[in-house]
Amino acid sequence: MHRYTSVFKDESKLDINYVPPRLPHRKPQLNLLNQFFRFAIESPGKMAQRILISGKIGSGKTVLSQHFGMDIEKEAQERGINLHYVHVNCRECRGSLFMILQRVILRFYPNFPRRGYSAEELLQMLMQILDERSAYLILAMDELGALILNEGSDPLYNLTRINEDRLKAPQRLSLICILREPEYLDMLDSSTKSTLKRNIILLGEYSKLQLRDILNDRVALAFSYGTVSEQIVELIAELAASEEGDARYAIELLWRSGKYADASASPRIFPEYVRKAAVSVYPMVRKDMISSLGLHEKLFLLAVASHFKQTEAAYISMGEAEDVYAIVCEDYDEKKRGHTQLWKYVKELSALGIIKTESSGFRKRGKTTLISLPRVPASDLEQELSRILYAKKR
Amino acid sequence: MLIEDVFSSRGRVKILRILAEIVELNISEIARRAGLNYTTTNQHLQALESFGLVRHKRFGRIRIFRFNEGNPRADMIKKLIESFEEANE
Repeated sequence: MHRYTSVFKDESKLDINYVPPRLPHRKPQLNLLNQFFRFAIESPGKMAQRILISGKIGSGKTVLSQHFGMDIEKEAQERGINLHYVHVNCRECRGSLFMILQRVILRFYPNFPRRGYSAEELLQMLMQILDERSAYLILAMDELGALILNEGSDPLYNLTRINEDRLKAPQRLSLICILREPEYLDMLDSSTKSTLKRNIILLGEYSKLQLRDILNDRVALAFSYGTVSEQIVELIAELAASEEGDARYAIELLWRSGKYADASASPRIFPEYVRKAAVSVYPMVRKDMISSLGLHEKLFLLAVASHFKQTEAAYISMGEAEDVYAIVCEDYDEKKRGHTQLWKYVKELSALGIIKTESSGFRKRGKTTLISLPRVPASDLEQELSRILYAKKR
Repeated sequence: MLIEDVFSSRGRVKILRILAEIVELNISEIARRAGLNYTTTNQHLQALESFGLVRHKRFGRIRIFRFNEGNPRADMIKKLIESFEEANE
């Protein structure tokens, strides 16, 4: 009888949201973070802290912050301090302070009404809740760029000012800002900017050797013994190191290689599966990135992708893209967004590196934006988007 | 307070049952779940509060109601509802 076997022992250990018990090669940064927040354990309420964690994609920003959050919550609990660490992804909250604060409040009051007040009111309510419970909060805002891009510098200013308004009261709200591109800081007002610039933790790219240590940890957690050889780890580390030391890419490669091994009913991962996996993962466009896009951003991207699938042209002009998008909207029974909104989407998508834009320059007549897909095969992108959109439609 | 005042109406009992189940809720949501309108819900809640059975917390314009734990009668009624619901399952 054929029995189904898998190289995996526990696949969930390769999930992007999994926080491993050990962070190889991030110890100094973790210590630094602990130093910054020492006061929260030793003299809670005496001050509030604002920290910036910055680094390239897959350099361990999120996991560093979450690891720290788990540690400090535990330590606070042991000392009888009511300290909460809440991690919010600003892009998932569509860059809205309102939604960020709402997620925080829902932690304290799971049935809090979802609407009917402003972000400012919500912030007041949050402070009231913290006061009532004499609780302290470390709010980690991941992908902070989305918030800054959407609402400018006001949200951060308000979040930092809320403590200053209450000089005599205990300082209850501290912030960890997680930002991929430090350039966004220039969009902030000077006081917020200077605080954040002083308390910055920079994460460099992982080297090949460091990636190897990370992968070895994950292999031990997620795979059955003897299914992943040293060579395989070496190969994946090599591939990821050439992608700017992106650890998340390395872990996704590892996971996909395992999937290919399972699909071929192989008892071990062979280099061929890694190569297959490498072809199927495009480092710049990842599932999590695509699924966090808004509905119309997805529709627009789908339009662009299906256009490129059908033609041999390398570029599509903004006008053409809008026409294709209009058709896609009809297919999905959605009301199409106007030009200005689409223009914003294009800018966002290009900031994310999914599409590339350049100005056509003044040709014979007029000027337009030319859109291209630099890294991802259009057919793959189209397939992935259709899958996500179809799931949503149902 | 007379016991018939507490259990005087379907609406009032419904509100108590919802609070026993969900623990903390704002008026609009209580009204929606009980199938009552806002004013009626508010009146019931005020009556229940005057009996000391529920209490509320205010966040700006929002009031969030819950059972007044610690009040022996409130605890008794909450237990009654819980065991009644259990027996129903």
